[in-house]
Amino acid sequence: MLEVSDIVTAYGKIEALKGVSLSVDAGRITCLLGPNGAGKTTLMYTIAGILRPRRGSVRLQGAELVGQTADRVVSSGIALVPENRLVFPQMSVAENLAAGAYLRRDRSTIAADTERMFARFPVLKERRAQAAGTLSGGEQQMLAVARALMSRPKLLMMDEPSIGLAPLVVAEIFRIVEELNRDGITIFMVEQNAHLALKVAHRFFLMEQGRVTFAGAPGDVAQDDVIRRAYLGSAKVP
Amino acid sequence: MGFVDYVQAIIDGLLFGTTYSLIGIGFTLVFGVMHKINMSYAAASLAGAYCGLIGPQMLGLPPWSVFPLSIVAAGVIGYVIYLTCFRFIPLASPLATLMSTVGMLLLVDEIVVHATAGMPQNYPAIYDGDPIELGPFILRADLVGVFLICVVAMAVLLALLYRTRLGMATRAVAQQPVAAQLCGMRLQAVNGLTFVVAGLLGGVAGAMIGASVGMLSPLIAGTITVKGLIVTVIGGLGSIPGAIVAGLLVGAAENLFQAVRNVTERDIYVMLLLFAFLVLRPGGLFAAARGRD
Repeated sequence: MLEVSDIVTAYGKIEALKGVSLSVDAGRITCLLGPNGAGKTTLMYTIAGILRPRRGSVRLQGAELVGQTADRVVSSGIALVPENRLVFPQMSVAENLAAGAYLRRDRSTIAADTERMFARFPVLKERRAQAAGTLSGGEQQMLAVARALMSRPKLLMMDEPSIGLAPLVVAEIFRIVEELNRDGITIFMVEQNAHLALKVAHRFFLMEQGRVTFAGAPGDVAQDDVIRRAYLGSAKVP
Repeated sequence: MGFVDYVQAIIDGLLFGTTYSLIGIGFTLVFGVMHKINMSYAAASLAGAYCGLIGPQMLGLPPWSVFPLSIVAAGVIGYVIYLTCFRFIPLASPLATLMSTVGMLLLVDEIVVHATAGMPQNYPAIYDGDPIELGPFILRADLVGVFLICVVAMAVLLALLYRTRLGMATRAVAQQPVAAQLCGMRLQAVNGLTFVVAGLLGGVAGAMIGASVGMLSPLIAGTITVKGLIVTVIGGLGSIPGAIVAGLLVGAAENLFQAVRNVTERDIYVMLLLFAFLVLRPGGLFAAARGRD
């Protein structure tokens, strides 16, 4: 579904991505693991059109996304739940959801989707009129996921959805991820918590120092080494 | 001077203060989305009001045409300022846009001085009916008109911000620009439109200042720039309700200072008011803990 090939993204002279290639299969959960500073978030922002790569290509169902603006990426069917959630703090929960549906015009289907979000995330319904900045971290994460879903994405990308959250909340987030996937949404997730990620993922990639260094499916390798490298990085990188 | 005179001074100040509120809102709106001060804003607003005079003076249009023309011209100028002072300027450098907008302030001033040969230009009043008597107080009819028009402009702005798609995008970009882009909002389009909206608002303010003073002169731009910035600081950068209240406060306070002391001392006390706020409430009138992620 998503084909990333040879992406190079740089901040000034420093190349954060040094030729990243990977693919995300339709209907699956794909996880991207790797230590801090590996370039995972940079890759997410590059795919979403927020950052421009020096070279390489990103194709969604064959259509090239590199060179497109972020709003075109959204309308082509990709939504990103960004790292640290980035909800609109002074807007109400309901307004955050409306912002997620910004590119859609049909009021009646937007209203129906809003109700579906409230059914899926009951806590958001309770807090619908409350400013998003006053929600707890877990609630903000739910809101960020719901806001991304309001654009009706084919591919939902999530950047570290578990960061800074209590274990119970993390379990809830992962339950929702699997539920969304069963409903037919393709998931591409960056996750530092490799143990949890390998439990839900169908495929995973390991990124270290701006390169993909390992690709596989959970269970088909000695996972301990991958997990160790996901947290710490390996000593030698070619 | 008795109590009635002081209250009268405050009432007149409140009526005129709505123009300061509009200028303060304009500074605050642009600061909200760009996190930068547009120093040329007040001068550009007055330049819009000057442009309005082209209608009656050179095109033979009726006198009232000056008001809509001023507003439209200021909106156009707002967009030009976005293009010249922000769009292609490196925004990461905090001083770059300060320099570009101060430069624009001087340029606008020079153009106005050149076009008018430095002579004050008469500006039509919004309305010349009889003063309205309220017990011992007298309301100048034209100032009431200025007040009403400014209030309508604020109401239109608030409706735009809180009831329309563009308004949602403006607030989203102000609060969280990356997330706004992830929702499909186009940063540069929203920024440009915010300058147009702020410009239109400035056009209303510039026209109403001209209408209540009875003329425009190049000397006004500096004063209004300073008053607008004071209103923005007192109201709190980025706060629209703050700018509204602060505009009324500064308008009322300066008129009261003028009545108690006299016109030459007036601005000294306005500056002292600014310093008092900077020391006692540096975050502005409504500063509170703000939820930011």
